[in-house]
Amino acid sequence: MDDVTTTHRPHKHLRTESVPTDPLKPRIVLVGNPNVGKSVVFNYLSGLYVDVSNFPGTTIEVSKATYLNYELFDTPGIYGVSSFNDEERVARDIILNGDIIINVVDAVHLERDLFLTQQLIDMGKRVGLVVNMMDEAKRQKIAVDLQHLEEELGVPVIGTVATKNKGLEEIHDLVVRAREGKQNRTLHADLHARLSTVGSQGEALLLMEGDEVIAERHGVPPTDISVREEIYIDRRNRVNRVLQRSVSDVETGRRLASMIGRWSVSPWFGFPILAVVLYALYMFVGVLVAQDLVGLTEDTIGKGIVEFNIKSWIAGHAATTVDVDVLDAEGETAETRSFRFDEGLQADRALWKEAREFPGASDAEFTFTYDNPWLVLFFGEFGAVTMTLTYLVFLLLPLVLGFYFALSVLEDSGYLPRLATLVDRALRFVGLNGRAVIPLILGFGCVTMATITTRLLGTQREKTIATTILQLAIPCSAQLGVIAALLATAGPLATLIYTAVIFSFLVIVGTVMHRTLPGETSPLLIDLPHMRMPQLNNVTKKTLFKTWFFMKEASPWFFIGALVVGVLQVTGALFSIMDALEPLVVGWLQLPREAATAFVMGLVRRDFGAAGMFHLELSAFQIVAALITITLFVPCVASLMVMLKERGLREGMIIWFGSLFLALFVGGVVSQVLI
Amino acid sequence: MRSETLSMLGKGGRARIARLPEGEMRSRFIRIGLMEGAVVSCLEKLPGGTIVLVFNHQEVALSGDLAASIEVARL
Repeated sequence: MDDVTTTHRPHKHLRTESVPTDPLKPRIVLVGNPNVGKSVVFNYLSGLYVDVSNFPGTTIEVSKATYLNYELFDTPGIYGVSSFNDEERVARDIILNGDIIINVVDAVHLERDLFLTQQLIDMGKRVGLVVNMMDEAKRQKIAVDLQHLEEELGVPVIGTVATKNKGLEEIHDLVVRAREGKQNRTLHADLHARLSTVGSQGEALLLMEGDEVIAERHGVPPTDISVREEIYIDRRNRVNRVLQRSVSDVETGRRLASMIGRWSVSPWFGFPILAVVLYALYMFVGVLVAQDLVGLTEDTIGKGIVEFNIKSWIAGHAATTVDVDVLDAEGETAETRSFRFDEGLQADRALWKEAREFPGASDAEFTFTYDNPWLVLFFGEFGAVTMTLTYLVFLLLPLVLGFYFALSVLEDSGYLPRLATLVDRALRFVGLNGRAVIPLILGFGCVTMATITTRLLGTQREKTIATTILQLAIPCSAQLGVIAALLATAGPLATLIYTAVIFSFLVIVGTVMHRTLPGETSPLLIDLPHMRMPQLNNVTKKTLFKTWFFMKEASPWFFIGALVVGVLQVTGALFSIMDALEPLVVGWLQLPREAATAFVMGLVRRDFGAAGMFHLELSAFQIVAALITITLFVPCVASLMVMLKERGLREGMIIWFGSLFLALFVGGVVSQVLI
Repeated sequence: MRSETLSMLGKGGRARIARLPEGEMRSRFIRIGLMEGAVVSCLEKLPGGTIVLVFNHQEVALSGDLAASIEVARL
């Protein structure tokens, strides 16, 4: 009769890695499926101060804030608590450590969302349920009986329209009232029998559901998958019963938004809609931001004012040569004069005044060459401080803001999953699934930013393929402008050859990787949220968060990249590299020797490489060969750094050297065939 | 009786899920409510096999190979 006695077998509890927490404050964890408006609820509760960080050991972002006397955690959107992907693994650990779970669900998709709710309840957590998008449900003639839902689930329920701030004031009350809900008795008993092995009911449940990570953490073998299935099926049936009693629907209305949603995945209208979206994206990010705004911020403010003032201030008491290039209307150098300051600008103010007034009303470029190599390293032509500052603040920041804004609009409108659906088949050729379309599009803005975004892909294999394609064959916006200008002078045939070579190269590399890398493409199983009008304040907040996160993440790498090139320049290694490249450039690529400089400059920033070609007198086919080489050539140092961080040293280096070799190889072959 | 799969369903077609594949995908299907006995209709079928399903007010897209792994009975 003593078989009910709890036996404490020896077992281990490995520390759960998590975001740092305050032991004195109760933890509220926001949990929900993707696209249910969880971030709006988080923003409502968190106020201004949000701490966004990477979850230890992963690349998933976790937001943490303080709400009254609670610590508030956001989690990635998930369909259930388990370990099917990184998002779920991160959410799982935060949920296990949480005291109160606020579960946000979509009133229209309760069938889908309540599965997670019931799972959280089965974990024995104190749960409060926020049924969001009540307006959308009403519009679709779905009646949700919140009272009934509360009775059936056994946890408090409120209804909200988060985007319009409706009902959110009740959340505090919900937090206070949150409690354990109705659970399956047999399951509950099973779970409690396991409490001696694991720390909590939540972990016991995950253990029964075959979670390998939890099993390992407690040193027990994972439970058979069939148990999970039984639990899942039972849970699904319970959810369906709850729904039968609390939701009734009359008729799904046909509205414009849902019509657009349907058209955007149809074979006939889908591609024209995609074309319109891409064109709008191009006009906004490519023209308005990348050309007009960046032209103003980078040249006028960044180089003309900020850099000029820093450099001339540094040159105040240091031996410096100032070269002034007067530019004509086309931006070509019309006249150059050198001014020498042996004891700094301040020692010879008259000459400095003369230098500044030398260009008159024309535009001019001032180049400061310091005698002291340290000053050159930090403030010279490729100065780690000056170049990074201009590049980051005045070129990249507007661009990244623009891109993330556009992306947030597309994301909040519900279009992105439809786009993924539309292009899924095409991307499968290169071993990717539809989701990869997002980083690939972002790559046309900034390859560095896109490389970071490859995190959202499901498997390491897909991340490798997408990163390689991005680094190799996708020209970023900075480069695209110069490429387009050069191709315009080379003519339509040259443009055609260039596009065909780059595109077929992209397909070939993708296909080869798809065929040779072990593993399979993960299948697309994606939920299409309803289309809706994005809310400006939410889009803005998202844009700012993402931009801040990117700048924080990428800035040091841009600085280090500039420093590396600066050291190469100061030590003279840069010129040795150019000399070493010369035979290859002249003999194999059949380009003038000065092109070597342009290629090496492409290391600093991809567009420098292409821009360097402007001053060379090239035939149309030489332009094609040069541009193909530049496009496939190593991306800028910052994207290399980010790639090394994301993909690891070994893989990053393989991609880097691979692209170096392939760029020269393909460029040369094209050159040998054409010229 | 020859079994049919979801990938054979054309636009506008309706079917009852007869058998899901084994393994991890099975749990993921059950989680979103795509389980044996559920009735789905095909909202859209893209060239290449990607299929958009409607069931329980939700729209879900599946790649062609995934659809081919689900056995259905046409309605």
